[in-house]
Amino acid sequence: MAEIELKKVEKQFGDFHAVKPLDLKINDGEFIVLLGPSGCGKTTTLRMISGLETVSGGDILLDERKITWLHPSERDIAFVFQLYALYPHLSVRQNIAFPLQAEGESRDLINKRVDEVVDVLRIRHLLNARPGKLSGGDQQRVALARALVRRPKAFLMDEPLGALDADFRESMRAEIKQLHIDQHATTVYVTHDQIEAMAMGDRIVVMSEAVLQQAGSPEEVYYKPANLFVANFIGSPGMNLINGKISEGKVVMPGIDNRYTIPNDWLDPLHEDLNGSTDLIIGFRPECAHLSTEGDLVGTVYAVDLHGAYTMLHINMNEHDIVHIREDRMVKHALGENVRFNLDKDMVRYFNPKTENAIYRREVVQ
Amino acid sequence: MSNFREDGPGYPVTEATRVDKVSPESRILGKMRALIVAIIAIVMLIPVFVMIMTSFKARSDIVSVPPTVVFKPSLEGFVFLFTERAVVAKARQADFKAAAETGELNIIERVAFEAGQEVTGPSDYVTRLKNSLIIAGLSTIFSVSLGLFAAYAFSRFDVLGKDDLLFFILSTRMLPAVVVTIPLFLMFRQLNLNDTHIGMVLLYTVFNLSLATWLLKGFIDEIPIEYEEAALVDGYSRWQTFHKIVLPQAVTGIAATTVFCLIFAWNEYAFALMLTSENARTAPPSIATMLGRGGIEWSAIAAGSLGFLIPVVIVVFALRNYLLRGVTFGAVRK
Amino acid sequence: MSIESTEAVVQKPDQKKPQRRQLSDRAIVNLFIWPALILLIAMNVFPLFYSLYLGFTDYSAITRQQPQWVAFENFSKILNDELLWKYFATTGRFALLSVGLQTIVGFSLAMLVNHKFKGSGLLTTLILIPMMISPVVVGLFWKLMYNPTFGFFNLLIGYTKFLFLAFFAASLFAAYFLIKRYISKKKIYLLITGILFGVLGVVGFLAYFSDYSLFGFLSGFFNPSTAPDMLASRFAGTPVPGMALWAVVIVDVWMWSPFVMLLVLSGLKAIPDYLYEAAAIDRASSWFQFWRITLPQVAPLLLIAILFRTIEAFKAFDLVMGMTGGGPGDQTELISVNLYRQAFLGQWRTGRASALAYIILIIIIAVSNLYIRYLNQMKGED
Repeated sequence: MAEIELKKVEKQFGDFHAVKPLDLKINDGEFIVLLGPSGCGKTTTLRMISGLETVSGGDILLDERKITWLHPSERDIAFVFQLYALYPHLSVRQNIAFPLQAEGESRDLINKRVDEVVDVLRIRHLLNARPGKLSGGDQQRVALARALVRRPKAFLMDEPLGALDADFRESMRAEIKQLHIDQHATTVYVTHDQIEAMAMGDRIVVMSEAVLQQAGSPEEVYYKPANLFVANFIGSPGMNLINGKISEGKVVMPGIDNRYTIPNDWLDPLHEDLNGSTDLIIGFRPECAHLSTEGDLVGTVYAVDLHGAYTMLHINMNEHDIVHIREDRMVKHALGENVRFNLDKDMVRYFNPKTENAIYRREVVQ
Repeated sequence: MSNFREDGPGYPVTEATRVDKVSPESRILGKMRALIVAIIAIVMLIPVFVMIMTSFKARSDIVSVPPTVVFKPSLEGFVFLFTERAVVAKARQADFKAAAETGELNIIERVAFEAGQEVTGPSDYVTRLKNSLIIAGLSTIFSVSLGLFAAYAFSRFDVLGKDDLLFFILSTRMLPAVVVTIPLFLMFRQLNLNDTHIGMVLLYTVFNLSLATWLLKGFIDEIPIEYEEAALVDGYSRWQTFHKIVLPQAVTGIAATTVFCLIFAWNEYAFALMLTSENARTAPPSIATMLGRGGIEWSAIAAGSLGFLIPVVIVVFALRNYLLRGVTFGAVRK
Repeated sequence: MSIESTEAVVQKPDQKKPQRRQLSDRAIVNLFIWPALILLIAMNVFPLFYSLYLGFTDYSAITRQQPQWVAFENFSKILNDELLWKYFATTGRFALLSVGLQTIVGFSLAMLVNHKFKGSGLLTTLILIPMMISPVVVGLFWKLMYNPTFGFFNLLIGYTKFLFLAFFAASLFAAYFLIKRYISKKKIYLLITGILFGVLGVVGFLAYFSDYSLFGFLSGFFNPSTAPDMLASRFAGTPVPGMALWAVVIVDVWMWSPFVMLLVLSGLKAIPDYLYEAAAIDRASSWFQFWRITLPQVAPLLLIAILFRTIEAFKAFDLVMGMTGGGPGDQTELISVNLYRQAFLGQWRTGRASALAYIILIIIIAVSNLYIRYLNQMKGED
């Protein structure tokens, strides 16, 4: 069992708040991803969980036991570093055996465990090599093997794929996820790559500027972003966000003829949240907009990205906002061409410009 | 008794440290560490204090039994260092005494008179000091630069006969100076390099080259090659890679090497003694042989050594940040 | 990288002028190595060969006679000279002791100074000062300091009496704290170390104040007749052979430990933090971390430091000459000192001296070879 809980955990470096008080509960066996741009505090949070960084306030619990001030080695966790942290003067076998040797385990046990682990990660052929001579991917596998060999309660990974080439990253992603499933171990994974997060995470914790923005499953985070930051950060490209005004049940967006009719069940929640103001931000994902000759909204083609399986159109709505619309096939459009499009009413989201938070309606429980 | 494991240190930690580094034991050890280093530094500097004290002592204090720590300071040492003197003839002693009383003698002359001597002119200490500055400074620059280039080449490339060449470079330093001086003396005489600044600069450059090359190669070996490979792939030329990527990371090594080469060239005694005389003589030979009225003039030697030591200390102090700076491994974040 | 549209062109350095000629690797290697090599060859080849030539002659630099060829006479005389072998042994002992102690002291200092604390920069610079003084001057001054009558050395050793007192007091305090900690934590090793320190402190105090005090003799250091005379290898009048060599070793260690410290420090700073972090998570004890991470990483630089100090130990001359002149008797007659004596003092046997110098050279080469082989092996250069 490895349930990790963070209670008001915060970290300050001098006057700088790297992590503002954070509450998070990580379930046993969960693969949770700490996601955010550089400097948002995700790595610091991970390091605090591991004990490599002290907390300025708050507590960290593992299986309801306070581990906030325990030595990193007493927390029964393994840490995978971005730069692998392999001992350069030791062979791969010695690197993997290191944690067990440090604990004074018997030679038989060490050999047995190393054996098991190299098969899992398919690096048996590298046992006698030195880390310096291996490719990045292989080095990362050795680092994973070293983490694995101790059978810890939880794995903490600090952007382990950050130093690898793009194509490698994809295959390694799958490997790590598979590893996680096989081991049934709780994994806390830090990354700035939202594609990675979406692909691997059971739950994603989005952080920005030392604050937790949203913690939820990939679906939640993608379809129901809690605020503008999440909406923009998740997805490539991020959600289209347009400033508009609400008037007579329609969102009036800048530009000719651009009015979007708001579904009825949204009207009350919106008015309630906006509290008299008429400024509103409307958001929709590229795949939720469809070109149509009878579309409600109008724009001109600004750029066309052909991706083979789909086309990403950049539509200029009013000299101000450029929205992305995704078409499910490869279609060429002339630049400057006028287009009309519709939005999927169920998928449109609304945000309060002042609080930057999403506006929710009461969900119909099914 | 606070329980660190449960409650932590009891105050919010606002610096970047590991959990075990803020435990009470760790903090005490940390303070002890500073204390121990301070003690060691003081103990190691005691001889230097002795030297400083000696330079301010009058003759009698130097040889007193037991050795004195508290004494009346005297400028005798410095005066002896910077001036040439002669013993005052008995006949003129009365005149001198009168002049001293009426304040006609300046402080230097007065101190000299207290030792029974009169000043006949400045010593050549300052000239020697200047020579040292020129010769040691130039030769250090040359040896470190040449050594740096050679070290880089040896470190990154498979040069033909690399091990042999490196050993040859090392071997140039292995012959005791004492014996090499005679051939060198003959060689210099042939080339008219005897007692010239150029000759000495050349000599010291060559002598330091082996240390510089080996040290710098050791440092450059430590720099991971990936950065250069990445730069080369990006289109940088080898020269640009060398000077934009390797040099900044080798700064610690370069600083350390410079310090060592400078110290060696600065303090070199044997060659300076045997290959120079009037023109290009550096300070060490003259400091060591300061003979005075009654034998070794300890105070003058102390004063001279101190003065000679100070430029080096200044240089090292100026470079201390480079010396202590770590090589920034893996700190290349996007 | 995410797919952005249109204009971003990846900037490649210096590709504006395609005609620009870049120096090939071959050219760079030549350009970098040859100047150094040429200089070395030019300045060294003649002296090296001429010395060798002189070794085969009976040349004496002060006579006006031309060198006469005597073939291997010089060499055989040297190799058969028992005295010279004794000097080699002395030099060997000196090298071993001096370099060994330098390494330990220098390494320890580097480890202490490695963590940043208030004033670490200043203290490090201060520790470097011994290295910066001219060896001749160092020799002269330590001669002054070792003087039993008015030197500071004995005075200071005498004062260490009080240091011992402080040490025993500290032992008692340590014992107190350790036992107190044992009561709360029940770890057996706390009890054992606590008791050990306690015993040490108590016994120490007793010894200090009793009549047969081991430390009473330290008071005698203030009195020239009961104090050691390091450079004369005497203690309170009775000769203690070998003291003078130790005296020289102490000075050499004092002077050159900073050298080792500086090099080791550079090596220590090059070790990335995350290696230690990984080891901390892996439950490696401090000792384990030292043996398996710190030492191997620093080894190459440490070996270079040891290599150079060993070579210098064989060539050591300035320091010894200034301090003992080879005495008392020939207790500190290092081989280089003897070389100087043969070449320049009294006999001016230049030919003989050159032969001796070459023998020394060969020994140094042999020793260095061993070191270098070990060094390369350690770096895993295959």
